Amino acid sequence: MATTAEAPRLAGSSASAASAIALPILSVATLLGLWELAPRIGLVRPTSVPPFSDVVAEVVTVLGRPEFLDNLGSSAQRWAAGFALAILIGVPLGTLMGRWRPLYNLVDPLLVVGYPVPKAALILIFVLWWGAGNVSRIGIIIVGCLIPIVISSYHGAHGIEPRLLWSARGLGIGRLGSWFRVILPAALPQILSGLRLAIAISIFTLLGSELLIRGDGIGAFMFTALDNGQTLVVFAMSTIVAVIGFLLDLLYVLAVRRGLPWLEGEV
Amino acid sequence: MADPVTERPTTAARQPGADAPPGAPKIEARGLRKVFSSRRGEVTAIDGVDFSAAAGEFISIVGPSGCGKSTFLYIVGGFVEATEGAVLVDGSPITGPDPARGIVFQEFVLFPWKTVMGNVTYGLARRGMPRAERRERARQLIDTVKLTGFERHFPKELSGGMKQRVALARTLIMDPDILLMDEPFGAIDAQTRVILQAELLQIWERTRKTVLFVTHSVEEALYLSDKVYVLSSRPARVKEVIEVDLPRPRDPEQIVGTEAYGRLHRRIWSLLQEEQVSDGDDR
Repeated sequence: MATTAEAPRLAGSSASAASAIALPILSVATLLGLWELAPRIGLVRPTSVPPFSDVVAEVVTVLGRPEFLDNLGSSAQRWAAGFALAILIGVPLGTLMGRWRPLYNLVDPLLVVGYPVPKAALILIFVLWWGAGNVSRIGIIIVGCLIPIVISSYHGAHGIEPRLLWSARGLGIGRLGSWFRVILPAALPQILSGLRLAIAISIFTLLGSELLIRGDGIGAFMFTALDNGQTLVVFAMSTIVAVIGFLLDLLYVLAVRRGLPWLEGEV
Repeated sequence: MADPVTERPTTAARQPGADAPPGAPKIEARGLRKVFSSRRGEVTAIDGVDFSAAAGEFISIVGPSGCGKSTFLYIVGGFVEATEGAVLVDGSPITGPDPARGIVFQEFVLFPWKTVMGNVTYGLARRGMPRAERRERARQLIDTVKLTGFERHFPKELSGGMKQRVALARTLIMDPDILLMDEPFGAIDAQTRVILQAELLQIWERTRKTVLFVTHSVEEALYLSDKVYVLSSRPARVKEVIEVDLPRPRDPEQIVGTEAYGRLHRRIWSLLQEEQVSDGDDR
């Protein structure tokens, strides 16, 4: 999950430090250069791969279209609802599993079976059950996010140093109080790592559900552009979605670092 | 320092000596046994330990690695249940953890999400004490453990010795009658350890809490204690109780050279030598 900026750097010569900055720039620049040149010199058809500069210009246009903003709004609401519900279900469930073995034994086999199932395969089943509406779209986001959130909450709660709990008990904290004053905060670093993973998954499942169910939303907007043969719009939208995903992750990491100064290591 | 120590934080249930005859021990354990069951079978950690501490006594517990001396302390703390026997405090059997029996562990188990101030006031928050009063009492304790100026630091920003000072302040602010210490200075460098030992003695001499101090250092036990319980290798039994009749206040460098110290040191050492070092760790 580490982005290039956070990749561990070995202390060493300035040459290796320079190459740690120069090489990533080189690889990205090469990719963008090829993207720009290939359609221009006729290596690929511009209707299949529009040049990079055209895509950037189209991004600016799309960002100014009110219908895009409406669809973005619908997608953002679905995303927020799905992600929030996944947290509300996943964190308590995983934490309880970490502290109560029978619940772990009960739920763990479902996670093991559910883990390799491609969540996109469930979208159509959800549509059969709940129709082609928001329930299905949000449902798929919840299902996709749930596994990393539950697993990270489980590990966070399970791995708590018993003496940390004893310390709190010895200071007069009761069993119920321990949940909120020890177990949750002590598990928080791992829960936050799981949430970061869930952010990436949630965008994937959101887009997947909107591409399949259509109606409205970013995914539907993209599909309509494809149907209309607007290759440039499809590329611009894909770029926007990629940038949104990147920014969400970056903002999340910055917010956690800023909001929880006591955290050791990375999220 | 006077305030947090004189004020009794909990209820009438633990008025010292309320239901115990005068001269009765502060802590008493009779026939304590602890058997751990696991898939591989049963392990007897403690086998018939009798123990008694008068109010205000400083008692060290030494024994070979893995002998069950930490387990004994956890039972007195109420964190681990004895298989047989009971621990009485002021004549009443204990039923679980209680702020009246404060504990300090070897590892620095501070709450990493709390600052020094937050850690020290942690136990007071639940009692509904006004915030200003909590902070005032915490400031006195932080001063006692010489951490003034570090109130807003998080545990990750502190050295090992500083963390252990915070752990001590966090426990002392509850004004426990009994202080349980599980190799508290075992993971701290030698110079800092000497300083912390001296400071602990100063606090103890001022407050006269009953201290149970688990250590594997014979020197530390002799420097600090009134009595040393020497335990056998697992399963732990009391091998001998040594009275440390060295005059106080003690100067750690001076007592080492005395004839009495040498005699006690040799005695405890030879008792420990008799015990085969058992396998497993100290838990």
